[in-house]
Amino acid sequence: MTDMFEGVPQEPGAPKPDPIVTADKVHRHFGGLTAVDVAHFEVQRHAITALIGPNGAGKSTFFNLLTGFDEPQTGEWMFNGHSLVGTSPAKIARAGKVRTFQLTKALNRMTVIENMRLGAAQQSGENFFRALVPGTWKAQETEITDKAEVLLKRFKLWEKRDDYAGSLSGGQRKLLEMARALMSDPEMIMLDEPMAGVNPALTESLLDHIVELKDEGKTILFVEHDMHMVRRISDWVVVMAEGKIIAEGPPQTVMSNPAVQDAYLGAHHDTDLSEDAS
Amino acid sequence: MDILLDSINEMIAPATAAFALAAIGLNFHFGLTGLLNMGHAGFMLLGMYGYAISTSRGAPIWLALIIAIVVAALFGLLLGWPTLKLRGDYLAIATISAAELIRYLGRSNSLQSLTGGSTGIRGNDFKFTFEELSPLPDENITFLFWTRHGSLSSSWWLVIVSWAAVALFALLYWQLARSPWGRVLKGIREDEDAVRALGKNVYSYKMQALVLGGVIGALGGVLWALGNSVQPDSMGRPTTFWIWTLLLLGGAATVFGPIIGSMVFWMALVAVKGIAGALIPTSVLSPVEIEPFSLVLVGITLMCLVVFRPQGILGNKRELAFND
Amino acid sequence: MAQSNLGGDPLTNRVDRRVIHRALVVLVVAAAAFFLLTAMGSPALADTAIASSHASAAAGDASATATQTISIHAEAADATTAPGDNRVIQQLVNGLVFGLLLALASVGLSLIYGTTGLSNFAHGEQVSLGALLCFFFTTQQPVSLPLIPVEFTIGWPLVPSAIAAVAVAAGTGWLQDRFLWSPLRRRRVSIVQQMIVSIGLSLALVNFIQWWFGAERQRLTTSIDTRLDLGMFSIGQSTLWSLLISLLCLGGVAFFLMRTRTGRATRAVSDNPSLASASGIRVDKVVRLVWVLATGLAAVGGILLALYDNAAAFDVGARLLLLMFAAVTLGGLGHPFGALVGSLVIGVAVEMSTLWVGTDLKYAVALGILILVLLVRPQGILGRAERVG
Repeated sequence: MTDMFEGVPQEPGAPKPDPIVTADKVHRHFGGLTAVDVAHFEVQRHAITALIGPNGAGKSTFFNLLTGFDEPQTGEWMFNGHSLVGTSPAKIARAGKVRTFQLTKALNRMTVIENMRLGAAQQSGENFFRALVPGTWKAQETEITDKAEVLLKRFKLWEKRDDYAGSLSGGQRKLLEMARALMSDPEMIMLDEPMAGVNPALTESLLDHIVELKDEGKTILFVEHDMHMVRRISDWVVVMAEGKIIAEGPPQTVMSNPAVQDAYLGAHHDTDLSEDAS
Repeated sequence: MDILLDSINEMIAPATAAFALAAIGLNFHFGLTGLLNMGHAGFMLLGMYGYAISTSRGAPIWLALIIAIVVAALFGLLLGWPTLKLRGDYLAIATISAAELIRYLGRSNSLQSLTGGSTGIRGNDFKFTFEELSPLPDENITFLFWTRHGSLSSSWWLVIVSWAAVALFALLYWQLARSPWGRVLKGIREDEDAVRALGKNVYSYKMQALVLGGVIGALGGVLWALGNSVQPDSMGRPTTFWIWTLLLLGGAATVFGPIIGSMVFWMALVAVKGIAGALIPTSVLSPVEIEPFSLVLVGITLMCLVVFRPQGILGNKRELAFND
Repeated sequence: MAQSNLGGDPLTNRVDRRVIHRALVVLVVAAAAFFLLTAMGSPALADTAIASSHASAAAGDASATATQTISIHAEAADATTAPGDNRVIQQLVNGLVFGLLLALASVGLSLIYGTTGLSNFAHGEQVSLGALLCFFFTTQQPVSLPLIPVEFTIGWPLVPSAIAAVAVAAGTGWLQDRFLWSPLRRRRVSIVQQMIVSIGLSLALVNFIQWWFGAERQRLTTSIDTRLDLGMFSIGQSTLWSLLISLLCLGGVAFFLMRTRTGRATRAVSDNPSLASASGIRVDKVVRLVWVLATGLAAVGGILLALYDNAAAFDVGARLLLLMFAAVTLGGLGHPFGALVGSLVIGVAVEMSTLWVGTDLKYAVALGILILVLLVRPQGILGRAERVG
């Protein structure tokens, strides 16, 4: 247990000593259905935070709001002290907050190495006019490739380097997506159900990779159903139900919180409020 | 033997090159970026109008070409600005409608003095600046088995220029497709959201692809007009569909796909017409029926290609042109 | 399958207010460009358009399917020039008539989109097929089948011919689904691929129809329609019959969808195919039925339009296709009742527009509306805002 959470109250919306993400009064509804209604939320820097909750709790919607893929009706949210209201997903990614998807988005008809290269930020060859003159981007391309190869070795995808991403297994695609996200050296990585559809044999190495990222000084926020994973790697757990944050705390104790048990065992645990259920 | 020679003649004809060039443009849209542009003929028509109208009003050839390019680019911007945020099949319906709109406007009586209405613009009104540049003699030239005029209309001069343009733009495609710029477009073709999540401005890239492909289509239109005339009804929906057919035939997302596709398409069309005319008795298939008959085969070819061999002749089976 | 395409990924579906601003700018720029061009091209009077477009009919390029020059309602438009008639009311009535007839085809297109997710580009050919099959059965001239060098005369009266034509056309719908679309769905061919297949089919069918029936406009009946003068406007007697038939057909479709078991199943498939399938509805049977219904309705529409216009050519449907798309999109893709409303709006807009622009531009007006709708409200009038973006 890291001590950076020492003194943090175990209550919804608890203030953190060094927050990288804060959100206030974020409200998103679809028609008449409230998907997300978060009064206050903070994510501690250099920590692994888990976002859990029963089906339809609004976790994925909240995730989409934080990464710019969806816009709330009201609310304010910041990353590193800068407001992200109305910021496009691409700009948020360029600001250092990258995400992965629940349904893995490996780019199937591109090779693994091309997937990786695409992840790198600030490529001069991505400008149309410079693309015409290979001399202006060849050197950077070599750098990017070297970096990609290091990451591929680390994520045990080296042998698949020149295969099409579509030929990878589900777990390998998750790994590829995570490795690709790392190409831009983000400060914060947001993982949407990193364990969904992953072969159990790969789970352990995936968990190790996430912990390694934290050791490198990155901040991680992930949505997960698998409580085993939550207990094993997270430093702090935030529980959502019916769009609201209902509890926060360290993984060892948060599940015994009566509000959490209510939410998981209550009548609502099988109702779908949003597309989160898919 | 005549059928064979005619087919080969068709294979190198300027019109074949014009369609190959237009297909290279469509390849930027569909092959590289996955945009469903069903109004490519509209870009071609705009290019033709831009070139022919400005030439007939006295513009020199370079200015006329620039005007053709600018008009097509503006059309791309105007069309893409609001529609590139919509789902793919909406873009298809928007582009096909916009292209038809251009054609309706072009052939309408209210623009008669500008576009020539439904009769279009005669070749004599705009071909001269190009033909004056010809270094070839002003007479019919026979090369091996084929005779064409040196510099007039569908001439050897036009053959040389057209195929040079095709080669140039194929080179451009090759260079761009392997660049990081092309990589972003391929990523968008696979999954827009993933590319967005990696910090790329998807909208801007789609727009660049749409405009670039549209401009290349317009240049294809100019080449076509130089071999024929400006006729709005020759750039209707069937033209767009032929370009799709020949692109898918050759193989989308490949460098030579559009070129091979165009050659095979036009060669096969002439060969089928020739063979059908020669072998099937006129009581079964009269001469006027041969044209629709061969186009029925084109339609069936398109259907079969999409279902059975979406990668075309040259495409890589694993890098299919369609998302699963 | 359709649903995932319909609803799309919620991530990309943000409703963007900027889209409306964009649309407005595009509209203004396009309008300005048009007026500028018109000014440069010394405007021709709208009313001379009909005559001159007939004159240039021969100039059509054989390679283009469309010998577009014969304006489809030239006869109807001519009638309005009679003195004393109120042109506005007359065009409104013409528009409503045209819209109702168009609706027969659009509703089918919409049903197919709703149940399968397919934007069927070959639907226009079903309209032409209906009209020309009716001609095939009813004409007194000798007819023949493609590739069979035997001529014969059928020459049935109009009504049995029409019924036979609709039956054959509906049969082609059944055949198409049985041997083309249903296998494609089973092979999980993507919806984009299916759309391009339908484009190929459209290309094949339109040329097949031309091959079979020739490129000329064919008349279904030689009798001349008596026009009834109703003060404000006049309307043909047989047009009234057409309207009645059209209303009966559309009412029948509405009754089918709202009141019958199979109709409710159809709507369920439209809403959510996987859920419908899970709740025991046989989706494939429903889709097969929708294909038969849609092609049959298109044939009825084709026959009635051919009677209304006095004649039909092989490309009549191809030219109407984008109008149908405009109607269906306007009403909201996949909503059959939206397609009806959309068809009426498009019909009225097309006919009323001839008061201001040349008749050769009236289809352009419909396409302009379509593009505008796509820009401002892609989900259509009746569509739900959250579903598309």
